[in-house]
Order: sequence, then structure tokens, then C-alpha cells
Amino acid sequence: MGSQRYLIGKIGQALLTMFFILTFNFFLFRVMPGDPVTLLTKTSNVELNAEQQQQLREHLGLLEPLPQQYVTYIGNTVTGDLGVSTFVDPGEKVSTIFFRDFPKTLVLVGTSTIASVALGLVLGIRGGWRRGKALDISSMTGSLILYSMPEFVLGILFLLLFTKYLHLFPSGGYRSVGVEYTGLAYVIDVLNHMFLPWITLTLAYIGEYYLVMRSSLLDVLGEEYITLARAKGIREKFVLRRHAVRNALLPTVTLVALSFGFVLGGAITVELVFSYPGVGKLSFDALDQKDFPVLQGTFLIFSVAVLIANLIADLLYGYLDPRVRSMR
Amino acid sequence: MKGPRRVVAAATVLSVLVGLFLAGTALAQDASPAQDEEIVFIAGTLNDMRTVNPFRAFEAPEFEVMDLNYDLLISFEKDDLAATPNLATEWTPSDDGLTWTIKLRDDVTWQDGEPFTAADVVFTYNFIVDNELSGLNYLPFTDAIEVVDDHTFTWTTTAPTTAPLTPPYVYILPEHIWGGFDKKAAQDFKNYPNMIGTGPFQLTEWDKGQSWTMEANPEYWGGTPKIDKYIVRKYDNEEAMVTALREGEIDYIGDVSIDLFGSLEGVEGITTNIGPQTAFTQMSFPMCFPDEPTADTDCMKTGTGGHPALRDHTVRLAIAHAIDKQAIVDRVLQGYGSPGTTVLPPYNRWRVDPLAPIGFDPAEAERLLDEAGYLDSDGNGIRNLPGGGNDLDFRFILRSESSESATAGEFIAGWLKDIGIKTRIDVVTDNKLTDIYLSNDFDLYIWGWGVEPDPDFQLSTYTTRECGYWSDTCYANPDYDALYEAQQKARTEEERAEIIAQMQQIIYDDIPEIVLYNYNSLEAYDSAGWTGLEENLSPKPQGFLWAQYGRHTALTVQPRALAGPSTGPSGDTGISAGVWLGVVGAVVLIVVIVAVVRRKRSDEDLA
Repeated sequence: MGSQRYLIGKIGQALLTMFFILTFNFFLFRVMPGDPVTLLTKTSNVELNAEQQQQLREHLGLLEPLPQQYVTYIGNTVTGDLGVSTFVDPGEKVSTIFFRDFPKTLVLVGTSTIASVALGLVLGIRGGWRRGKALDISSMTGSLILYSMPEFVLGILFLLLFTKYLHLFPSGGYRSVGVEYTGLAYVIDVLNHMFLPWITLTLAYIGEYYLVMRSSLLDVLGEEYITLARAKGIREKFVLRRHAVRNALLPTVTLVALSFGFVLGGAITVELVFSYPGVGKLSFDALDQKDFPVLQGTFLIFSVAVLIANLIADLLYGYLDPRVRSMR
Repeated sequence: MKGPRRVVAAATVLSVLVGLFLAGTALAQDASPAQDEEIVFIAGTLNDMRTVNPFRAFEAPEFEVMDLNYDLLISFEKDDLAATPNLATEWTPSDDGLTWTIKLRDDVTWQDGEPFTAADVVFTYNFIVDNELSGLNYLPFTDAIEVVDDHTFTWTTTAPTTAPLTPPYVYILPEHIWGGFDKKAAQDFKNYPNMIGTGPFQLTEWDKGQSWTMEANPEYWGGTPKIDKYIVRKYDNEEAMVTALREGEIDYIGDVSIDLFGSLEGVEGITTNIGPQTAFTQMSFPMCFPDEPTADTDCMKTGTGGHPALRDHTVRLAIAHAIDKQAIVDRVLQGYGSPGTTVLPPYNRWRVDPLAPIGFDPAEAERLLDEAGYLDSDGNGIRNLPGGGNDLDFRFILRSESSESATAGEFIAGWLKDIGIKTRIDVVTDNKLTDIYLSNDFDLYIWGWGVEPDPDFQLSTYTTRECGYWSDTCYANPDYDALYEAQQKARTEEERAEIIAQMQQIIYDDIPEIVLYNYNSLEAYDSAGWTGLEENLSPKPQGFLWAQYGRHTALTVQPRALAGPSTGPSGDTGISAGVWLGVVGAVVLIVVIVAVVRRKRSDEDLA
């Protein structure tokens, strides 16, 4: 009973947030300065007279009253119609553009998130367990440095080191151009291009997981039930694995779930440093070129992804920790 | 027992790694592509290509692709950019100057094999005139454009003109593809794949936001290009792009920033080129005042108009005297440019020097303002309108999208302060600035222009009817407007040059805007690998390597050493399949071994 209410409550909350996001997304792009039609005629080479401009406004639905536009927008969005790009890829559907670039981001950011979560958690557990030992001190120092350094700075440093001085990896893009690679050679070529952005992202985010895991474990280790477990004579390994780590993992669940939500948003700065054509770069291009439909569409997808990840974290949390469910 | 076991484990790991490495290397060699001796020239750009529709294009890479895919009727001569035969072989005006008869080449075919005829040219021009499409300004006074025979057409105008020799920057399109469109369909047409032109290259591959490939047209009437493919690769990070040139991943960069240009100078195997000055940056004044409407314009539809002091020529002249243009060139452009004078930049063959140059002379500026009564009557350090009016306090708008012009603006604000004029700087996006200048809601702003070889369009932007469209300032001068029309109707080049010189002088003297500086295009290429670029710079004396009017080097660029492994296309830098397999294998093995060792230990612990 309690868990059902918890579930319904969380989903209800998510739907409400979703509605707020939609509304905000709608108005955000309507309070921006500049009339879209004036913009289009001034920045593209399309010359339109006043009458044609008015026709275009009518065609784009800009002459309808705002509430009507809002209803149309909600309707279109719910049916998956995110509009049509004006500058990034004129005339192409926003959803098509997004899902063209998305696989590249998924491979890069998805795998690097998995790697940094795995490494961060493992190191965090070791560090918390053997606090003050050589491994803890070195990984603590490393984590703090990587965590506090903006990822694009790290990226540029790697670019200088691995490309300019060591000549090991390419300077950007996701594949070589001018050569038709197939099969294994193609995979290797893509791997070579992905390596620097991947290692940058992985290293940049290890610190976050490491620090959270370590401090959470230290908290748990101070609990009385750990002392009790030890007093009962349970081996240290089992105290760690069965009693400490399980409970210490809870706070990291939220962090990890949210991180996967952000995978959909790509890694704007790293994708830009390495000219990697993912959705992060797409949203930057849209902003740069004032392609509002694309920007609006990507914003929506990013927010919804984070929202869903958040919901999953909440539900997972409820499952992992019965106290959360019964709290209400 | 532990010691020996570890040694055994380590030995196993090592031997497996070596084995994997060897296997991987062998695999990688199998998988490497066959050298097909294709010659590929690769350029890097920061600027994306979004459309290849000539009625929508406005970015440099888009025009570059169309320049190579299509032909113009008449092209630009290599040295001085004068009109030179292209698809047209000869052109003759009638005695009254109203009808031009133009003969075309008879050996041209479209890239899809269809023959090219006069009907295609007539279609293209009429389509633009009838639908008022982009390119219309190149076809002034058009009355009728008609086919005479397959390789001849006539262009009849309502006034005598030399416009056909401008030459019109209009790509000739195939009627058999574009013929069925109305205006909207033409503007919405993607034009890719199957972009059909008559040019030396054809766009064949377009990986959006990443790269685009043009293949040489073996049937090109002007001779087959010496390269097989021209590829443009888009970067988002200029540091990475410059590194790519040094690494040999790309061969050419067309628009290097001032800061990075220095890092490429003197690099072995790379040649830098300080190209011509085809663009200028100007500071504009509001020339439309709400309480003083010009007779034949309603320039003030919205906005508040500029500061009243700025309508006074003396104030504008004083400001011009206060600006040290040479200092901007030295300190902001690091010398890659020249102080501005008239609205045609130095490379333009129609440019003239002003008769009475306005030099940097702050003392003269102060004297002019004192004499005209702009004194600091309220003692706050800022001059006032004559008779104790408002402060000379100007809203000064700068572009967030151009750090160079914004820095120049900050210098200027300092110089104006020195002569008792206050400015309030506001840095905005280009969009916002577009709104601001169209609504006449500024006192000063800085923006710029790139100028084509033919000055017609640039000069048109200062005519009265361009207020609200292309006019920077809503400048309105009936004498100037008359001269603009006169230069379009001029019968000879000498006559036209004379009129254009007068027009430049009028703008320079009236000061609706101050041309601050002209700047060089900065290029760099892999001169160890390629030849045929530096030898064919255009125009003279200071020319482009690649981004030329007329695209001369697209036909002459070739590898320094034909054949041989170094000229074939090679992938980007990277580590081989063997190393990758080795690394992956090592990681997997280490994980497995750690797991095994730990399990053993746990077992021991339990025991």
C-alpha cells in the first residue's frame, strides 16, 4: 500500500515537472529578443517584402494569440513533432537531426560515464576503507585536481600532449575523411578519434564519484551497527562488503542515475574541443546560429532525460531503502 | 607459494600480450585500405555549411561549394579581377547601349550529361528577375532576356548599362532541374544530393556538421582539375584545426585568426600567406532624426533616433579626428590590416584615396568642438550641446561576436573621453544589433562589410531607399542617389570609375560612418605537400591562395610529388589495431587476474 502510494506520488510529481518544463520551454523562446521572421530575412539571403513576411508569420503560426500557440505547441510536442530547423539544417525535422547525432554521443558519453562510475566507486571504496593509506592519498589528490579542473582545460591539455607533442591521436572529428575505411580499420579509426574525448570525460568525472563514495563509506563506517558487526567477530571483508558498502552505495545511486540523464545532453565543452559531432555540439551550434526550433527541441529532450533519470533514481531509492517508501 | 605463482602469472600475461600484439598488427595490415592513388586536398574551417541552395546561402563555405559546383556567366581575371570569359565567350552592346548580345561556349555539358544551352542562362536570369530572388541587384534595368539560338542570347535593358560586365555573381542553374519550381519551391529545394552544375567539382558527400566532399568533374570544359577530391573538414576549436594542419591531417586553412597566425609562421613545411584586404570595419552614426524627417523617406518608423549632436557634421568630423586608426591596426590587428579611408577596401580596383584625408589630430578635434560651441558648460568634464544643453553622452554599441572590433571600440571610447565626449558601451549579439540599427536606436555602433570585386552592391547600401534594409545609417543624399544610378548606366568603364570615385569621396566627406580599418585574410597551407597555390595568387599584388574570385587555384593545385605513398590519402594520426588490441587485452587480463587472485584470497580467508 505504502509503496504503491510512493510510486504514484513520484510519477505524479514527474508529470507535473514535465508540464512545467514544457510551459517554461514555450515561453522562454518567446521572450527572447528579435522577431524570428526579421531574423530569418536579415541573416539568410532570403529577401522578402512586408507582405511575404506577414505570410511567413502566418505560416509559422506567429499571428495566432499566445494561448492558441501554446496549445498547438503542447499538442505537437506530445505527438513527437519538435518542429523544423531554420539554420543548422534548414528544413530538416528537429527530431531527425537530434537522433542523427545522438548515437555518437551515446557511445562516447555513455561508455565514459560507465567507466568513470566504475573506477570512481572502486577507488572510493578502497580509499574509504583504507583511509590515509598511499592509494587513498594519491587517488584523493588526483580526484581533487581532476574534479576541480574544467573538462575543456583537461581536453586541451590532452590535445597538446597526445596530438601536438606525442603525435599519437588525431586532433578532432569522429573519423578520418578522404579515406574509405571498412570493417576493423573503420572501428579502429573511430576508436582513435574517440580516445581523447573519452579519456578526458572519464578522468574528469572519476573525482566526483570517488569523493561521494569515499565520504559516504566513511560515514557508514562510523555507525554503531558496524561496530556491532565487528564485535560479533565478522571478518573485515564481510563487514565491508555486506554491511558498509551496501548502505554507503545509496547516496551514489542518485548521482549515478542523474549522470545517465545527462548523457543525453552530451558533453558540450568536450565535444567542442575535439569537434566531435554529438548532441552537445548540436545544441551549441543551434545556440550559435539562433536556430530556435533546434534549441527548443534539444532543451526539451535534455530536460526530459534528466527528469526520467531522476524518477528512476527515486524509484530505485525506494526499492533499495524501505525507509524512504514508508516515510510518507 | 605466493611468490612463484605471481611470477608465473606475470609471465603468462606478458606472453599473451605479445601474442595479441603480433596478431593485431597482422590483422591491421590486412584491414588497411588499398592505396588507390586518389589525390585529396583537405581544407579546415570553423564555419559550417548549412545549405547549398543559391537562393538561401549566405556563409562563406556555402559560396565556396557553389563556386566550384557552378559556373558564372563571366568570371574574374586572375590579376585584377576584371571581367573575363567563362561560360560566355563574347559580349557586344548595341549602339544605343540597351541590348547586349552574348555568345556562349558550345562545348559545355551539365554534370548529369545534359547539354548546356542559352536556354539555361535565360531561365536562370529570368527566374531571378521574375521572382525577385537573391541576385536581383546584378540584373538592373532588365527589360527582357531572350534566347537567340542554342549558344546566343540577348539581354535588353530599359537604360544603357554595363551591368552585364559587373559580372553578375549569379550561378547558372540547369533549367531541366530548376525549371519546374515556383519561388517557394526554389527556396526550399535542398539541392543535395545530385547538385548539378557545370563547374570543375561536384558535391558528392556531405556529413553534416563534420565534412563535405567535392569530386573533380572529369568533363569540365576548362580542363580536369589535378586533384581528385576536395574535402572541407569542420572544426569547432581553432587550436585543434591549426594542430591538424601541422600534423598533416589537413592541407589548408583559409581564415586563420590573428592570434594563431603567428604560431604557424616559420613552421617547416607550412607556408603562411597574408591575403588581400577585402573587408572593412566601420563606426556608424545615426543619420535619421525623428524631428527632422528627410523629404522622401520615413526613416523613423520606430526607435528614438540618435543624439542630436551627431546630426552636426562638425561633431562627426571632430570624432573622426580623435580616432587613431593606425594605433588600432598596430595594437588590435597586430599589423594585419591598414587604416580605413573610403568604403571600398584596398584590394578593390575601383577604390580611390580621399582627396583631403582626415588625420588623427585630437587638438584639431577639440578646436572644432570649442569653436562650434560644444563646451563643458556644467563643469562635469563632459562637453554639452551649444547653449548649455545636454551632455555629449553617446550610447556606443559593440559586437559580442567580434572581439577585434569590440577592442577597437574600447580604444575609441578612450580617445573620445580625451576630447570631452562620454560613451556608454553596450556589447550585444549581432541579432540584437540588427534590431537596434533597423530601429535607429543608437548613437554609435561598430560593424563591418566584406566587399565584392564589383562595388555596385556596396555603394547601393548608402542610397536612400536602402534605409530599413541594407543601409547602416539611413544616410539620405539625393546627389549620391543620382550618382549611384548614373554609375549603373555608364557606357564605359572610365566613365563609371569617375562616378564611383566621386561617390567614395562624398561618403568620406559627409561622414555618415567612419571606416576604421581594413583587414587581411590570413591563410596557411602545407607547402611541403602541395604546389600550384603560391604560384597563382589572385588578385595581384596581394592575393588569396585558395579563396579566390574565379577559383583559379582549384584547377592548379597539385601534390609536389605525383605518385608515391606520401601523396595518397592517409587517415588521421592514430595508434594501430595491434596496439589497441594489446591495450584492450592487457586491461581484460589484468581485471581477470585481479579477480582470480582476490577470489583465491577470499577462499583462503574463508578457509
